[in-house]
Amino acid sequence: MINVDGLTKTFRMDNYEISAVDDVQLNVQPGEFILIFGRSGCGKSTLLGMLAGLIRPTKGVVRVHGVDIAHLSDDDVSGLRAKEIGFVFQFSGLLSTLTVLENVLLPTLFCTYSPSSGLRALELLEKVGVLDRADAYPHTLSSGEMKRVAIARALINGPALLIADEPTGDLDVDTEFEIMELFRQLNHEGTTIVMVTHNPDLVPYGTQSYYMERGKIVGKPKTSSCENLDLKSVSHLTTRDLT
Amino acid sequence: MSKPPDFHFFRLVARNLGNRPYRNIATIFAFAIIAATFFSSQYLMSGAQQSLDAGISRMGADILVVPEDYAGAGQTVILAGTPTSFFFEDSGFEKISRIPGVAKASPQIYIATLFASCCAAPVQMIAIDPKRDFTIAAWLKENPGLRLGKDDIIIGSAIIQNVGNDLLFYGHTFHVVGVLKQTGMGVDNAVFTRFEDAYVMAEESGQKAVKKLIIPEEKVSAVLVKVNPGTSPAVVASEIMAQVPGTKTILPNGLLNAVSGQLSAITRILYGASLAVTIVSVPLLGVISAMVAHERRKEVSILRALGATKAFVVRLLLVESFSLAIMGGCIGIGVSATILVLYQDFIMHLLKIPFIIPSLTTILVQGGSALLLSIVVGGVSALYPVIIFIRSEPYESIRGGES
Ligand SMILES: Nc1ncnc2c1ncn2[C@@H]1O[C@H](COP(=O)(O)OP(=O)(O)OP(=O)(O)O)[C@@H](O)[C@H]1O
Ligand SMILES: [Mg+2]
Repeated sequence: MINVDGLTKTFRMDNYEISAVDDVQLNVQPGEFILIFGRSGCGKSTLLGMLAGLIRPTKGVVRVHGVDIAHLSDDDVSGLRAKEIGFVFQFSGLLSTLTVLENVLLPTLFCTYSPSSGLRALELLEKVGVLDRADAYPHTLSSGEMKRVAIARALINGPALLIADEPTGDLDVDTEFEIMELFRQLNHEGTTIVMVTHNPDLVPYGTQSYYMERGKIVGKPKTSSCENLDLKSVSHLTTRDLT
Repeated sequence: MSKPPDFHFFRLVARNLGNRPYRNIATIFAFAIIAATFFSSQYLMSGAQQSLDAGISRMGADILVVPEDYAGAGQTVILAGTPTSFFFEDSGFEKISRIPGVAKASPQIYIATLFASCCAAPVQMIAIDPKRDFTIAAWLKENPGLRLGKDDIIIGSAIIQNVGNDLLFYGHTFHVVGVLKQTGMGVDNAVFTRFEDAYVMAEESGQKAVKKLIIPEEKVSAVLVKVNPGTSPAVVASEIMAQVPGTKTILPNGLLNAVSGQLSAITRILYGASLAVTIVSVPLLGVISAMVAHERRKEVSILRALGATKAFVVRLLLVESFSLAIMGGCIGIGVSATILVLYQDFIMHLLKIPFIIPSLTTILVQGGSALLLSIVVGGVSALYPVIIFIRSEPYESIRGGES
């Protein structure tokens, strides 16, 4: 699904350089649930940004369905993001001028219009447990609720891939558990997930886990001992196929 | 929820505009000021111009011929109605009517009246020759049944008297038989009578009036000329000046220039104000839009991450800016139009310009162009955020801060 080769990002400052991501290889197969760990500043967000075509790599390639996205037009990459990739930011990333429901519907503006989007948005809000706040504005939500809304928004166009940057950061353990259960369910339904986290306790949720250190993937721990080990054998349904 | 919710581009625009009141009100205000100044100066200028046109067409003339030394006074009669008297040989008049291209020529005698009992200010008396006149004739034609008989006068709209009243000039009694439509010009302060009656009035003034009035025989003050259709008034005018020495011609255009000269102070103030406002507002809007650009980088990055194309974001920024420009423009035009109409008399008095309210079409055109100016400025002020956005990498600004 996504194949990353020699991916490098160097930020040039006036008098020094930061190698945020350094020669990373990564292979994301459909149906996988990939976890990326690493200390703050090791380049996780930068890596995710490059996967989604939001950050231009200094070196290396990102291939989506075998196509190097550097060779796609900006519109095509935007289309890819709109239809194939759901993105959950490290911060909530909700637009403050829109209600919860409108935030969830926002990505439908970038797809061909479907009259069922409204119903689907309500379903998703119910699924993430914030349906009762549909008409609230983001600043009135708790950070856990914001994260849930952001997840609902990432799923509205039925993406095949969900990229989540610390979706459970600064959440209490119970809320984190609920969100992880939701991710697990989505993954079972066929959504491929790439997720960044600091919390080693989450290892069991992933089908693959990687550790990053100073821009490099340095370790590839054994596949987690979580009960749903054999995810690759489940059929590669995407949530889009389900709608 | 009964109806499934839906979301579209203009909803997003409306939300963005509606939920950022402070910034948007400041922006709308800047646009309103630009549109208001631009609209007001155009409105005042065209009102003054329309007033001139009306004054000249009231005279019904293509050319006004006056004695050389009195060109300024001639303009004053038409523009302000400040009473004056001046004369030139009637024989000149005969020559004028024979010049090729002249369709009609009509002599007039201008008589400055003293302070009349009727009126707050001295009145300009204009004596006409009914046989050759076309100034009052046109008006008489529009008002069938009316005629200018012995000792009758037709008065300008600024003279507050009714039809049927008697007015005294140089001890001579005149009857008001008609009131002309407002022109905003000198004609509004004039009374029209016949040559005969003026001569009689002058004759009697020795006994009846405080000061004797002398109207030299065989002399007139001005000759109004109508040219043949298709003939250039300018050509005829220079022919008149060549053939009748000692005369000066005034053309409507020339009159306009004279007025612009006279009004140049006001004109300069108005255009200067528009320019100053625009010069001040554009950087102001620039600063606002730079702030906006900065503030919105994150929002724009979020949109991009969710799949918005560059074209979508540019469209969003432009439509929002144009919406603010249109709102501000309409408010500015609406408010200034209301003020200009409500306080018209006061403003005209203050600016001392001839004025009538421009036609609705003219007002609409002026409103439209003021609105267009706001829209253009709106487009220009949106350029900065758009350029900033196009240059930046979508994700760069996302990392910025927590939300
Ligand atoms: N736009 C940028 N300009 C300059 N330096 C940057 C930029 N983006 C990231 N960096 C640097 O690159 C490195 C990796 O940043 P990144 O945000 O990817 O880390 P992270 O692993 O996501 O950290 P965290 O867990 O705190 O979110 C950091 O040292 C950061 O300062
Ligand atoms: Mg990060």
